[in-house]
Amino acid sequence: MKDLFTRRRIVLGAGGVAVVAAAGLGGRYLLHKRYAPSPYDDLLSRLDNRDADAQIGEAVLANIEDFDAKSVSANVRARLQHGSLSQIVSSDAVQGHLVEAKGWVIPETLGLLCALAAKAAA
Amino acid sequence: MSAFIDARTVPEGTVLEPDLAIVGAGPVGISMALALANTPLHVVLLESGGMTFDAKTQALYDGAEVGDPYLSLQASRVRFMGGSTNIWGGWCRPMDSIEFEERSWMPHSGWPFGVDALKPYYPRAQVLCEAGPWLYEKAESWPQEEQPTVALGDGGMVTRWFQFSKMRNSTLPTHFGERYAEDLKRVRNLSTYIHANVTRLGLDSGGAKINELDVATLSGRHFKVKPKCTVLAMGAVEIARLMLASNDVMAPGIGNAHDLVGRFFADHPIPRDTATLVLFDGKLAPYYMHNQVIHGAIMRAGLFPSEKYRRADHVLDSSITIENPTKLDDLGQAALAATASALGVDASQATAYSLGCGIEVTPDPDRRFTLDTGRDALGIPKLKLHMRIADSDFAHFRKTLTELGRQLLASRTGMLRLNAKERGQWLAELDWGNHHMGTTRAHVDPRKGVVDGNLQVHGISNLFVAGNSVYPTYGAVNPTVNLVAMALRLTDHLKGQLR
Repeated sequence: MKDLFTRRRIVLGAGGVAVVAAAGLGGRYLLHKRYAPSPYDDLLSRLDNRDADAQIGEAVLANIEDFDAKSVSANVRARLQHGSLSQIVSSDAVQGHLVEAKGWVIPETLGLLCALAAKAAA
Repeated sequence: MSAFIDARTVPEGTVLEPDLAIVGAGPVGISMALALANTPLHVVLLESGGMTFDAKTQALYDGAEVGDPYLSLQASRVRFMGGSTNIWGGWCRPMDSIEFEERSWMPHSGWPFGVDALKPYYPRAQVLCEAGPWLYEKAESWPQEEQPTVALGDGGMVTRWFQFSKMRNSTLPTHFGERYAEDLKRVRNLSTYIHANVTRLGLDSGGAKINELDVATLSGRHFKVKPKCTVLAMGAVEIARLMLASNDVMAPGIGNAHDLVGRFFADHPIPRDTATLVLFDGKLAPYYMHNQVIHGAIMRAGLFPSEKYRRADHVLDSSITIENPTKLDDLGQAALAATASALGVDASQATAYSLGCGIEVTPDPDRRFTLDTGRDALGIPKLKLHMRIADSDFAHFRKTLTELGRQLLASRTGMLRLNAKERGQWLAELDWGNHHMGTTRAHVDPRKGVVDGNLQVHGISNLFVAGNSVYPTYGAVNPTVNLVAMALRLTDHLKGQLR
């Protein structure tokens, strides 16, 4: 009976594992949707689904005249220094800081994040 | 027991001389007639229709409409014994005290009496409507473990309850004609005439008293009633018509010296699918969507603006009901996912529902009835309705819906979509409550109201009006139990006056 753990087999096996691992990591990198950089990527990273959220953002933007992404992003960034996104949007609701997206009543900070996602996707 | 008298068999030229004539045997007229049983007063109840629907009688309601879309004047009411309770949905709820108050943000508001004047009469009205034990207020404080309500946290919207009429031995709401016909026949001091149409209110030459009522049948009979006192109880449209058309002594019509009769007409707009409600956990007690028997009453929960919120934010009244489960479109799914994620709540079981509503409108003197050129089969001028609904009325309700959406988010319970914004969107899905109100509004000042606090027509000592037509403002709740309470209050007043 031949020895299963020949030097040749060990080398081939290790090589195979390395190839599969590299393919997996690379594929994941290749499959992950990449977005053009924007000045507010730090904010957009808080969104789970930027494409879907950009749709919401388009609807939010339809109700906001003179949307200035730079000042809005600074404003949102400042808000998020005071707590988690969950805390900030809850506070928005309590205080009545709301925006509409094609009729959907959503917390203002979430709406502005979505609007920034829409701007970034434009 | 005496049968109803078919007016078509009354000899031509007959003159009846009762103490009191009640014109119209709907819920108001029937409730008053029953409440006057076993009094020394001889009462005549005059009903245009018979015991069942008749197309020729119903056609007497025909009229014209201009302006914003509204229901056909024939289709929105019923002309036979029992009146519009023959087609009502049985929804009952008393008005809030705020409805009666003069409010700075509500033009033409302020009743000549408060809710306290009606409170003694609500229990009896509830019994007549067969709406079960009086649970409206008690239900608001039922424990959550017993009757869970949608968690809304602090804010303007609260869960409140409707109760429902159910006719004895029936699954239908109480049809007052069918239900109380035998009771009416047992009232010894009452004579009920069917197929009897009052075609003219005859004023004395001084214009201060009603001397006689002309009555006609579609078969061509005519007779007169000369009562000591008359109550008009035919509904807000026909009351205005008869008062305007009875213009042989006073050209503007009866009680119309200040050009108020027929003005301020109102109904409750019911925009369909007005909003979409999403509950994150998908849990909704069944009594929000369907009537349920609870503690012996048939009940349904709704969402209402509290009196405190209405005072603080100057919004009109409304009632919101949860109707049917519905599906979300792609944007709705995205909004739900993003909002739930941002709030940190699980929405894997989220369920969406369409919302129904009834909303209050602002009193408007130019939403009115006038006499038209055509005449009906009895020779009475037909009516023309000038219908209007203000954008601001929709805006008030949208503000209230937004408050509901805010509370849902703040309590991490759910979220809301407002389905209508532009006027065309509201009108496209607009239905109506068939609650005709306002055409002979009550006010202490004859320049501002047709009737006074006792529902007596200003300046005419023996003419009274009962029913929705006296509403100066309209609230948003279904009127029947309220107008029956008002009728019972008027009955007590008349018992004293005619003693």
